[in-house]
Amino acid sequence: MPPLMAIEFLWRVADVLSDYLGGLNEDLVKDNFIIVYELLDEMIDNGFPLTTEPSILREMIAPPNLVSKMLSVVTGNASNVSDTLPSGTGSCVPWRPTDPKYSSNEVYVDLVEEMDAIVNRDAELVKCEIYGEVQMSSQLTGFPDLTLSFANPSVLEDMRFHPCVRFRPWESHQVLSFVPPDGQFKLMSYRVKKLKNTPLYVKPQITSDSGICRVSVLVGIRSDPGKTIESITLSFQLPHCVSSADLSSNHGTITILSNMTCTWTIGRIPKDKTPCLSGTLALETGLERLHVFPTFKLGFKIMGIALSGLRIEKLDLKTLPPRLYKGFRAQTRAGEFDVRL
Amino acid sequence: MFNQFGSTAETLSKASAVVNRIGTDAHLYDDPEDVNIAPLLDSKFESEKCEALKRLLALIAQGFDVSNFFPQVVKNVASHSSEVKKLVYLYLLHYAERRPNEALLSINYFQKDLGDPNPLVRAWALRTMAGIRLHVIAPLALAAVGKCARDPAVYVRKCAANALPKLHDLRLEEHAPAIDELVGILLADHSPGVVGAAAAAFTSICPNNFKLIGKSYKKLCQILPDVEEWGQILLIGTLLRYVVARHGLVRESLMLSSHGLDNNGFYEKDGLVIDLTLDKRDGDKSDSFDANLVSLVSKCYIEGPDEYLSRSNCPDTVSSAFDSKETTSISHNEDVKILLQCTSPLLWSNNSAVVLAAAGAQWIMAPLEDVKKIVKPLLFLLRSSTASKYVVLCNILVFAKAAPSLFAPHFEDFFICSSDAYQVKAHKLEMLSLIANTSSISSILREFEDYIKDPDRRFAADTVAAIGLCAKRLSTIPTTCLDGLLALVRQESFAGDLESVDGDAGVLVQAVMSIQTIIELDPLCHEKVIIQLFRSLDSIKVAAARATIIWMVGVYCSLGHIIPKMLTTVTKYLAWSFKSEASETKLQILNTSAKVLISAEVDDFQMLKRIVVYVLELGESDLSYDVRDRTRFLKKLLSCKLAETAEDSVASQENIAEHVVEHVFGRKLKPFSPLTPQNRFYLPGSLSQIVLHAAPGYEPLPKPCSFVFEEHDQLSDSDRQREATAGLHGSQESSETVDEDGSSEYDSESSNGSDFSSDVDDRTISNDANDPLIQISEVAVSTDQEELRSKRALDMWLDEQPSTSNQSSSALDRNQSSYAKISIGDIGSRVKPKSYTLLDPGSGSGLKVDYTFLSEFSTVSPLHVCVEVLFENGSTEPILEVNLEDEEAAKVSDSAEQTLVGKANVFHNNVPTLIPMEEIGCLEPRQSAKRLIQVRFHHHLLPMRLTLQYNGKKVPVKLRPDLGYLVKPFSMSVEEFLATESRLPGMFEYSRRCSFADHIEDSRMENGKDKFLSICESITLKVLSNSNLYLVSVDLPVANTLEVVTGLRLRFSSKILSSEIPLLITITVEGKCTEVLNLTVKINCEETVFGLNLLNRIANFMVEPSS
Repeated sequence: MPPLMAIEFLWRVADVLSDYLGGLNEDLVKDNFIIVYELLDEMIDNGFPLTTEPSILREMIAPPNLVSKMLSVVTGNASNVSDTLPSGTGSCVPWRPTDPKYSSNEVYVDLVEEMDAIVNRDAELVKCEIYGEVQMSSQLTGFPDLTLSFANPSVLEDMRFHPCVRFRPWESHQVLSFVPPDGQFKLMSYRVKKLKNTPLYVKPQITSDSGICRVSVLVGIRSDPGKTIESITLSFQLPHCVSSADLSSNHGTITILSNMTCTWTIGRIPKDKTPCLSGTLALETGLERLHVFPTFKLGFKIMGIALSGLRIEKLDLKTLPPRLYKGFRAQTRAGEFDVRL
Repeated sequence: MFNQFGSTAETLSKASAVVNRIGTDAHLYDDPEDVNIAPLLDSKFESEKCEALKRLLALIAQGFDVSNFFPQVVKNVASHSSEVKKLVYLYLLHYAERRPNEALLSINYFQKDLGDPNPLVRAWALRTMAGIRLHVIAPLALAAVGKCARDPAVYVRKCAANALPKLHDLRLEEHAPAIDELVGILLADHSPGVVGAAAAAFTSICPNNFKLIGKSYKKLCQILPDVEEWGQILLIGTLLRYVVARHGLVRESLMLSSHGLDNNGFYEKDGLVIDLTLDKRDGDKSDSFDANLVSLVSKCYIEGPDEYLSRSNCPDTVSSAFDSKETTSISHNEDVKILLQCTSPLLWSNNSAVVLAAAGAQWIMAPLEDVKKIVKPLLFLLRSSTASKYVVLCNILVFAKAAPSLFAPHFEDFFICSSDAYQVKAHKLEMLSLIANTSSISSILREFEDYIKDPDRRFAADTVAAIGLCAKRLSTIPTTCLDGLLALVRQESFAGDLESVDGDAGVLVQAVMSIQTIIELDPLCHEKVIIQLFRSLDSIKVAAARATIIWMVGVYCSLGHIIPKMLTTVTKYLAWSFKSEASETKLQILNTSAKVLISAEVDDFQMLKRIVVYVLELGESDLSYDVRDRTRFLKKLLSCKLAETAEDSVASQENIAEHVVEHVFGRKLKPFSPLTPQNRFYLPGSLSQIVLHAAPGYEPLPKPCSFVFEEHDQLSDSDRQREATAGLHGSQESSETVDEDGSSEYDSESSNGSDFSSDVDDRTISNDANDPLIQISEVAVSTDQEELRSKRALDMWLDEQPSTSNQSSSALDRNQSSYAKISIGDIGSRVKPKSYTLLDPGSGSGLKVDYTFLSEFSTVSPLHVCVEVLFENGSTEPILEVNLEDEEAAKVSDSAEQTLVGKANVFHNNVPTLIPMEEIGCLEPRQSAKRLIQVRFHHHLLPMRLTLQYNGKKVPVKLRPDLGYLVKPFSMSVEEFLATESRLPGMFEYSRRCSFADHIEDSRMENGKDKFLSICESITLKVLSNSNLYLVSVDLPVANTLEVVTGLRLRFSSKILSSEIPLLITITVEGKCTEVLNLTVKINCEETVFGLNLLNRIANFMVEPSS
């Protein structure tokens, strides 16, 4: 078996389990060991994946929920194993349960983007790209056939699709045509390369002399995206040769963990001042100056905008159900945002 | 502020954890045994049964042995509740192998469930029935799978496909054709879900049975996008193998691009293609792809690197091995076209493994100008978990090695993030140094500058090495690199001055080595740099770095004009610092001073001589014996130089010692050859490519065009059956199609041979006079035996109780510390080696040929095995001129289709593969004759093809290697054995269980004998009759009662014939004297593949009944 297949499968198991148990840790697995056993038995057979489609699994083995839990407490008996074979196993769209019924039909599209960037020691933007996902949440009656089109598909460098997406329409005119699974799912992921700008700048400075390092880091807005930038954090690993640190900031809080990770939680950039972290690091005795430098990892979140510039044009349904509600959202956060010093 | 919040968060999460536990099975897990489980199992309420089963599963999960509930649990198979059923199945699969008799009780219920109207019930019953791995029920399970393969429900058919490998694992030779046929049926299924599972079954059962694919190839390609992701991965591989076997490689593809360059007809076209793929400004062709490497890669894919590299010392066969007949062109081959069309959209799959598999297929088959479309999807895979990133990078590295230009424009994707794991960083660095070109090098070098300051010093050191590699590859940058590296050396040596951190030392050493690699390219230009390095000797304190620089003094001592003038000073300095150096550096100083002395000019000679004498004196009284030895050695060598004066040195050129010295020290550096044996390439995406050796089960691509497809293949089932059985009897006309499905065929052959072994057995002498003895010669732990014995009895008693297995097993461990050594008398005379059939009388018109492997050593070379061949004339007429010849040798004379590859095999190392036998002039009816041949097998599993001549006819026959005789006995004591064993732990140790029944008959026959002895004897006899080993020891636990032989341990040792690597075998016995024993065979060997194959072989022959 190819190693990547095994890794991918393990991730799938982890995803399914955390979906069922609401998280994944030793205690949760122990507490729900029967469900875990049953799921594993269904997901893998003789070392080869059997059923990994979440919608089918959900029909075969009911996820624990409050009602079933209460029922089992009261009656002492509640089977979570289905008696009948889910119809999805035989259909050509195994990801969709047959005939879900909703009184109100809703479909939401979220663009969730992560910005990966590297700023080198000369404060130059070496690499800046967006990894994005089109996440959907659909509650549609029957067997809907959707098409989603972008206003500017040419910005996309590369993409990967959920199995439900048909390849032909995309190949010919860049339109996503698909029968959606029920509930939350990731429709596609994409990459946009060679972006020119980051919303924030980080200006770190370190000077070291006779065993003492002076640190000052400024964080500010470089190009205003038009929406508030929230939960800004900056974290870095103190070099091993640092014996003690005395850091303070004019905005936000600083925590230093025992593993020498320093995190500066800024939140939002205030209007009146530029957040600044400053202080001194004492080096170990005998060391004159610092010759290794930490890398700063920036974190932020911007609601309501996709920094890649990708725009959704429209979402169409072949047969319009009554009372349809469509919604679009976007958000960008920092992925691997490295600022080197 | 944070603390307070933290504590509330903690209590909150605790509280929510408590709430979450309500209604789950947590209480069952925490205390599974707070109620009596047995009555619950017999309860008439489904809910109570369910609870009991959950408790049992909780116990299993915690590692307790609850197999004693087996009979009660099995009864519940009949339950109607689906949950109870599911839980019972889980329990059953866990213990069925250990309680075969009780498991049989459940079969009836499965049979009934298989007829259930509910498809879920049918599927579960089938899965469980096939999952109980018992030989007894295999025929029933096979029938069930056959029925379910035609089930109306897709899910059931899918389970049937999944059940096939389980049955195949049982190795039931008589059912093999039926299993193959079922695979064919399921592959032809119209539902994508079933096809995916069937592709998986195909890959694990009969990966070379291309006839099954050929029938529905087009349909399989079309269905591919709809197949489940897991099935897609394996189906892509299967289709690729089929196309290669059917049509060969594609002429326009990258794989054959180097071939095209050789036949200059393609040259123009390739030039065009390179421009297309690259849009490069500077058109140096060497940069676009490495022709040598590409051809090496494609060879490795087809033949497997082990085979290919082993004979790569005949380089002339490399370029011409691909016959134009074995290739195809995409423009007029529909099959190739459709494969490429169907795999290319899969590059957009959400599943990384699918993307990699599709990319692999495109890489091998796509025309050169299309290969670049795999690049972006592969790079996208780099944004995933560390583990998958690593795997993807390993594969991309191979692609980039062969065609750096593909990835060159995307160098930014390999820039390092701070969150990358070290292994990922190292691979990215390698990647960057591979793909750097003139346009990207400046950005890459700027990145490297950043990396050098990274806190992870090991990574920084790797970066420095990567700079050296880049400078070596690109002709324009060495000067820039050198400046940077020199600055680094200066800076690091200061830092190293203050505090010697291990990592920093590594950076410095690497920097000096990188400088060295750059200088090596063109020493004359960089004379100044060399001098600068010499000057910095004073400030550099790290021993390894110093040693490298000192080595450079020696190598470049006669270079240019300035260095020779400095030599006296430098040597003086070295002599002065000698005392304070590390021994590594001291050795280098000694070498260097010798080199300097030899190349010294006349003016400096006297001075240098005095210095060298001083250094040698110092070295002679050094603390390290290495240094002392080296000094003495040099002193002897240089004695001539040291004795003579400068004027004499010219005169006594004839001196032999002089020549030796010149030869040792005066030689020029040799450039490294680019094709190092590290370049081992395996198929993209395979495990072997990650671990860089052939993992068990790895198969290279099939031979191009080895499969001939008949368009109107109308064989009925019965025909196919007949063909299959004919194949078993070794008369294979269709040797073209079934080429290398080694092990399964091999097994059938050996079981077949055992029928004949009694006929030939004239070496068996029953020797009762040599009665073996039991000697309690060694009692390791001298505790009171009586106490141990009583404890053992207590354990036996405890064993009956549930949940005490832990204690009893630990007690067992304690018991096993005291052993009696059993010595078995002369067993060699009773060993009867097994014989195999080479030609059966049916197909040889009365001539029967058997062969037996002998334990004698070959007289020709250590690689040869002696085989005794027995010819017997069963017909009524005499047979004339019987001889055996190597097939390849025979073909040279009369066949034109001889490939060069074959030739290379025959004359490899100038040792023939077959030492022929003496010809038998005439064989009368009923007469038999024996001959000895010596054979060198190419591979330990692949048969050797020979030609048998008689009565003027030529018959092709296959001589199959017996793994047991590809080793030779290696005598060692128990202590040595244990020491060797302890050096081969972990991945060099593998074990397998099997059963053994030979002794039962034995013990019945010879009642008077000691039972233990007869068991030991029969096991030893069995092993030694089937392989060539040395029996090291036989140990029996002293505390055993009369009937129990558990703990009996036999140790054998041997060496692999071809590589002389020791191989240790330990057989541990479990069970009672009168019953079938369970053996655990364990092998410790460095050669993993060989060891695993031998392990399977041993497990197979132990199970076989003896004749």
